Amino acid sequence: MAGPGIAAYLILSVLLFATGAFGVLIRRSPLIILLALEIMLNAGNLALIAFARHAGNGAGQIFALTVMVVAAAEAVVGLGLIVAVSRQRVALDVDKLNSLRG
Amino acid sequence: MNVLVWMVWVVAACSLLSSGIAVVLFSNPFFSALALIVNLASLAVLYLLLSAEFVAAAQVLVYAGAVVVMFLFVIAYLGGRADAPWAGGPTTQSLAAIGAAGAIAVEVVIVVALKAGGRLAGAAEIPAAYGSPANIGRLFLGPHLLAFEVTSIVLLVAAIGGVILGTAVSRESRG
Amino acid sequence: MIAAAWIALLSPAAAVVAIGLLGMRITRFQAGVIASAAMFVSFVGSVVALVSLLGERADERTHYSTLWTWLSAGSFKVGAEILVDPLSVFMMLVVSGVGFLILSYAVGYMHGDPEERRYHAYKALFVFSMLLLVQSGNLLLLLAGWGMVGLSSYLLINFWHFRWTAVAAGKKAFIMNAVGDATFALALFLLIQRTGSVDFRAVFQHDVVKQSSIVATLIALGLLGGAVAKSAQVPLHTWLPDAMEGPTPVSALIHAATMVTAGVYLIARTHVLFELAPAIQHLAGILGAITILLAGLIALVQVDIKRVIAYSTMSQIGYMFVGVGLGAYGAGLFHLMTHAFFKALLFMAAGIVIHAVSDEQDIRRMGGLARALPLTYRGFLVGSLALAAVPPFAGFFSKDSILGSAVNAGALGWILWSAAAVGAFLTALYTFRLLFVVFWGEMSAFAREHLHVRRFEGGLAMAWPVAVLTVLAAFGGWLQVPGLWRRVDHWLDPVARSGEEATGVTFAFSLVVTLALSLAGIFLAWRLWGRPSPVPERTRRRYPWAARTLEEKFYFDRAYDLAFYEPSSRTALAATQFVEEPLFLASLRDLGRGVRFASGRLSTVQTGSVRSYALALGAGAAVIALVFLLVS
Repeated sequence: MAGPGIAAYLILSVLLFATGAFGVLIRRSPLIILLALEIMLNAGNLALIAFARHAGNGAGQIFALTVMVVAAAEAVVGLGLIVAVSRQRVALDVDKLNSLRG
Repeated sequence: MNVLVWMVWVVAACSLLSSGIAVVLFSNPFFSALALIVNLASLAVLYLLLSAEFVAAAQVLVYAGAVVVMFLFVIAYLGGRADAPWAGGPTTQSLAAIGAAGAIAVEVVIVVALKAGGRLAGAAEIPAAYGSPANIGRLFLGPHLLAFEVTSIVLLVAAIGGVILGTAVSRESRG
Repeated sequence: MIAAAWIALLSPAAAVVAIGLLGMRITRFQAGVIASAAMFVSFVGSVVALVSLLGERADERTHYSTLWTWLSAGSFKVGAEILVDPLSVFMMLVVSGVGFLILSYAVGYMHGDPEERRYHAYKALFVFSMLLLVQSGNLLLLLAGWGMVGLSSYLLINFWHFRWTAVAAGKKAFIMNAVGDATFALALFLLIQRTGSVDFRAVFQHDVVKQSSIVATLIALGLLGGAVAKSAQVPLHTWLPDAMEGPTPVSALIHAATMVTAGVYLIARTHVLFELAPAIQHLAGILGAITILLAGLIALVQVDIKRVIAYSTMSQIGYMFVGVGLGAYGAGLFHLMTHAFFKALLFMAAGIVIHAVSDEQDIRRMGGLARALPLTYRGFLVGSLALAAVPPFAGFFSKDSILGSAVNAGALGWILWSAAAVGAFLTALYTFRLLFVVFWGEMSAFAREHLHVRRFEGGLAMAWPVAVLTVLAAFGGWLQVPGLWRRVDHWLDPVARSGEEATGVTFAFSLVVTLALSLAGIFLAWRLWGRPSPVPERTRRRYPWAARTLEEKFYFDRAYDLAFYEPSSRTALAATQFVEEPLFLASLRDLGRGVRFASGRLSTVQTGSVRSYALALGAGAAVIALVFLLVS
């Protein structure tokens, strides 16, 4: 394989994943949390495709495509929820959406 | 040739990480969404380097073309308000977040760099049509037909869910 | 004939089903009519069976009829089988005839009760069970009928389920009867083990039973236990007086005329087994004699009109036990029949009295009712004369039949005869005490205030059965006149040959002595209660211990309480206090408390903040990755 090996891709993937996870953990706006989630999913996709290339097997790509579809579905539902919440005139802040507090 | 590939890879990788960090750190969600486009585009480049042409195309079309556009619509609808991530100095939550994310990154890096050893060397030889739409289509309609069908159901359910979330609330707000 | 017997058996069952299924679609009156009509059909069926049997030779009058195999276990088979022979037809006539009269009476007596339909259904169920008992062709089906009469008796005693005394009385009757049912069932187990059959023919012919006196004795003892419990003989008698909590027609039908005499029927039916175990048969007679005396004495001090009659019932069944215990089956069953007539009459007349004085049963608050209820008074008088064995009323012939057989049965016979003769005196005394206190003298203030008399003293529905029974109680005894003809004995001879009655001087002696004692009893009752007299009160004050013993019914209930109720209730209380409380309740309570405390603490973890959950997830993933890293 010309260019960097799988190890480089994997390291890139985990750095991207950590960035996304960090975003999910520190941001309070649900919109940006969703964006960070997309980054995490894409980091996973990158690892899948790198492994697929490494193994010379197409299944990893299929998996990545499926993840993409799930990510799209998740974005639809997540955004729908955000819009629904905003219509209730509630502040878009996950720290204030804590009515499930025990 | 090899150098060119490396150069492309390095540029794409830098763009990927910096745009990712930008998504997370921009206080305005509009900019975050724009940074996500850059991020996705960089990923597409990497996919191309990995001979996954169809996935790269789908990435651009589905993500940059559809998902991010949807994000932008919602952001435009709700206004550009957002939290400032670092307002009020470091909190327990943010410090712990750095710790957790960093730990995961460091651990995986250690595994990849030190523990995996030679097992990650030597990629398989692949045919020219490896990542082509034709090959992907054969895989999807062949061995992975079930995943294909289930995925379509997931999409259908998500679409219906989106519709219900939108209409039910609007009727309520009208009443 | 067989078909008639089956129709007689099943028509009450059909009435139960019909009343149960029709429910609210029929009026209460219609339910009563359905039940009575079914009884009438039964009675007609019994009469048809009787007529057909009369057309046959005496030794051919036994017919079995099996519909299907009811139970089958290996080689042991029991059929749904009825037996038509002189004894069962005799009992069928008594049960369905008296049952028909009492159910017709009940239509009037229960009129207006909110649960009348249920009452009529239970009553029909009882008659079905009783007919099953007397018609069954094997001992197992007999036991089924035996249990079912107990059940319907239970249901009817606590028919007025809002009165806790009625509920308690029902339970008591059921439990006391269950003791008898258990010994009955044990006898059947032994029988099945030894002979492999419960069929009358097979059992009575079986060599094992004939040869082994121990087995025969045990079986007879078990059967006697059932008979004693069902027929309320000492020592399992305490349920019968309490059973008077049920409606009066129930007392008349179940607790006087039919069910309580089932023990007599059982002994007569299985007399082959009892004759193989003479000790047990004599025990039946001895228990009967003891019951005659105890019940007669207790009846002297009772103040509840129905309880007096109930004790009298026990005492009269004692006579029947003496009869069958000494082998005089004809005499015992003859007394069973006349007793059914006059005792049902007394109960139904008492029911009219109770209705007339606004459901009051205490005889001290009655008095002088003869003028207000002349017809009822006449019926009650005939019943009392029959009960006190005054000629020519029914009880005279049947009781003297028993006593005449007793004097011919050796030394034991003489002992039992003496008890029975004293019992005759007591019978006359308590019967006429009741009659004088209730009907003679001045009308009490309570009676004047509460008296209300309907047309025919209780409505036509109640009046005509009383009239019919009055006639039967007066003339029913002519079926068997000692020394002249013995219709009942001859009729029953093919099934159970009765012992010879005494004749000549012995018989005349028995007759004269008991008649004299009866008349003396009536005279004494008249002296004491027929007019205002200070003697009863003075006697009571002079012998307080005697009065107390009688009022406490010879302490049987107390003794049973001490022997069974107290130990078990104390054990249960102790178990609650020392076992259940510390071991189960406390540990469960602490467990619950601990869970509540822990979950209270745990619930603070649920902050409702999505970010902290996500952080926990991320940190967890990091930790797990670290673990993998360190382990690999």
